[in-house]
Amino acid sequence: MEMGPILRAMRRNKVRFGLIVTEVALTLAIVANCVAMIRDARAAMVRVSGFDDENLVNVRSTPFEKAFKEDGYLDNALDADLRSLRSMPGVRAATNTRFLPWQGGGSSTEMRPAGTKGEMLRTQIYNGDEGTLDALGVGLAEGRNFTREEVDRDTVRLRELGRNAREMGPDGLPREKFLQEVIITRAYGRLAFGDNPLLGQQLEDSDGDLYRVVGVIDHFYNPYGWPIHEYAVFFPNRARGYEFGSPFLIRTEPGQALAVAKAVEERLLAVNNGRNLRVQTMDEIKAQYFGPQRLVSTLMSTVTVLLVLVTSLGIVGLTSFSVAERTRQIGTRRALGARRRDVLQHFLAENWIVTTLGVAVGVVLAFALNFGLVTVVEGAKLRWPLLAAGVLLLWLAGLLSTLAPALRASRISPALATRNV
Amino acid sequence: MLLYHLRIAFKSLRRSLGFSAVVVGGIALGIGVASLFATIRHALAKDPIPHKSGVLYNVRLDNWDPAKPHPNKAGIPPQVTFRDMTEIMKTDIPVRQGGMFKANLYVFPEPGSGRPTRTLIRMCFADFFPMFDAPFQYGSGWDRKADQGPEPVIVLGEEMNDKLFGGQNSVGKTVRIEDREFRVVGVLKPWRPSIKFYDITQQQLQAPEQVFMPLGWLRPMQIRTSGNSDGWKSPPQPGFEGVLVSETTWLQMWVELPDEATRQRYLDFLGAYVTEQKKQGRFPRPQRVEVTPLMKLMDEQGVTPPELTAMVVVSLLFLAVCALNLTGLLLAKFLARAPEIGVRRALGASRKHVFLQHVVECELVGVLGGALGILLSLAAVGFANGWVKALFNRGDLIQFDATMAGYALGLSLLAGLVAGVYPAWRVCRIPPAVHLKLQ
Repeated sequence: MEMGPILRAMRRNKVRFGLIVTEVALTLAIVANCVAMIRDARAAMVRVSGFDDENLVNVRSTPFEKAFKEDGYLDNALDADLRSLRSMPGVRAATNTRFLPWQGGGSSTEMRPAGTKGEMLRTQIYNGDEGTLDALGVGLAEGRNFTREEVDRDTVRLRELGRNAREMGPDGLPREKFLQEVIITRAYGRLAFGDNPLLGQQLEDSDGDLYRVVGVIDHFYNPYGWPIHEYAVFFPNRARGYEFGSPFLIRTEPGQALAVAKAVEERLLAVNNGRNLRVQTMDEIKAQYFGPQRLVSTLMSTVTVLLVLVTSLGIVGLTSFSVAERTRQIGTRRALGARRRDVLQHFLAENWIVTTLGVAVGVVLAFALNFGLVTVVEGAKLRWPLLAAGVLLLWLAGLLSTLAPALRASRISPALATRNV
Repeated sequence: MLLYHLRIAFKSLRRSLGFSAVVVGGIALGIGVASLFATIRHALAKDPIPHKSGVLYNVRLDNWDPAKPHPNKAGIPPQVTFRDMTEIMKTDIPVRQGGMFKANLYVFPEPGSGRPTRTLIRMCFADFFPMFDAPFQYGSGWDRKADQGPEPVIVLGEEMNDKLFGGQNSVGKTVRIEDREFRVVGVLKPWRPSIKFYDITQQQLQAPEQVFMPLGWLRPMQIRTSGNSDGWKSPPQPGFEGVLVSETTWLQMWVELPDEATRQRYLDFLGAYVTEQKKQGRFPRPQRVEVTPLMKLMDEQGVTPPELTAMVVVSLLFLAVCALNLTGLLLAKFLARAPEIGVRRALGASRKHVFLQHVVECELVGVLGGALGILLSLAAVGFANGWVKALFNRGDLIQFDATMAGYALGLSLLAGLVAGVYPAWRVCRIPPAVHLKLQ
């Protein structure tokens, strides 16, 4: 193929081709960065929590009857609720825990290996009962689950502890240490104890109270305000009170979450109607948590599509103009023996060169823009495969947009050259 | 002259309607996207109380762990303890002041009958209403004397007043909250600041609470916060009193300081207070007190997510591509018109005249595109608001206000100009004679 005429034509129309080069470059830079951001948002959304999210239902019971202010009544009511939930059709497991995944938070504390003077290590911390792991749908990797007796015993012990002032030692910490059995995540265990075996290890908190590891779970991911998404400690206790109510997590048979969520309020009110209930499926909770990300990725996707469209339209316009302007020249070339496919090739090659120049500049621009976004506003980091996909996309878009005008050019009759205008 | 240029420009656009639709549509997309993204960001970034934000200050004291600073970005607890709030409110340096927190309490619709509903209640002081300019429909806030007792008085939001009293003037009526009766002294007008600026520790997009109660009721009713509470040390004694004397921070503390001198005096007062407390073994960290203006606090707390800023940057680049596109298309159009221009130049039209006429045509495209773009972004704002409503239960967060209209109009004029200057310059340099010969 003859490159001479193409290059000469381009040199004579610097501005017009410069426009396309700039447009293609900007488009590649924007599209690559948008897609990087969209992919980041999507990746967060498909991140696996380790729990049986699709089949989880959260129920929060908040009492208003005065009777609930009395511990015995509260405990009995809680037991009755759990019994009713566990025997409900479609329910596989139910637990009373304050842990609720996908809220963007929860509760946290600091601990370190007992007896060391090392740095305190922050972790999420939640109460659990003998059914918590089952309800979340996570299996124990090592050790054992809490027993019902442990939960009952610690509920009473913790209540006692909260009721009376603790006697302080000379170091300003409680004189008598409190010991509890806990189940921890593998990630937190590794943070605290490295590669040592975890079962039987002890942690201490800032009061010097002790936590002995009796169980380890492998999968746990709950996004948190601090980077402790995979760190968690569960301790045996009931979560109940007049002010904060009692939260439940229910794991249903596959596909039954909505049906259970619909029926659960009536069922629990039949057990005791001195309280209000709030029911949400985990899908709803997750949708809320990811709402902003979903909005951002929808808007970004729209922009990406529009941008490629606008740029393609621009190429169509400029090439059409180019063809119209050179009608007589094309006619002349045809009259001098150029075949139709030579003309077609001319325009396609011309465009290919321009697009390639554009994407070359665009790659540099994309990284520059990405650098700005990453440093200034914590945007997503750009990766090569993604950029390569962008380059291919623009090559394709460029080719397709040139095709129609170039075909039109190839159909110009040689006779035109002899006519005046 | 300008009118004449405009008329010619209109004619030119009308002559090739399809082409005009494409160029106007292209710029409309650019303006639509740019103004939509800016409007979304503006909803969070704008000053929620422009006439007062300059004199409203958030108060923070670093009472944190000697071993390490508070884990947030500023390294200082965002709220204060109950004991510190009580002590520092004994000064009268600020014109208005008050700590506050939100609680989740049962409000009974009809005393004795019907199921109660848990309702978010703002526990605050009398100064809250004048300090934050809460607009009253009926009655007014309570007076400072009522903070003391405390007296059983409340102020209702307009929604709660609708729910409990059908929107009637309910001043003087009573409402039961938990196990006590409260007398309504005021009802607010609809109050929807863009963000809940007086408490941005969490859920800033929530509408203001619908019930306001003197904070003094926390003790007799043992009311705990339902917002964040941050601590680093176990309370020295168990139970409710323990929370009140602990180092746990859970109250937002605000002061109104009319000028720099007062601000300085107040800072000195806080410094003296902390020094005094240090003698008693509290405040183990290096002394640090912060009196932060509202807008700076919003910035520091990251009320505007960085993603939104990134989106605004991307949208402006998108508009740049649209403008480049417009340049290319207009260039093609103008140059195709070369013979006609040649004739006009030969008949005496000056270069300047030709240039201006074409710039006007570009600006016309810009403004038409801008107008269409604004319509597009209005539609998209409606869509985005639906999204926000599903998430945060308010459908009025994102508003296309005068600032945004100005932004969109400015951008479309700029886009028209930037896109049009080169084509217009090219076309005005067409020599008169060449095209005459060809004809």
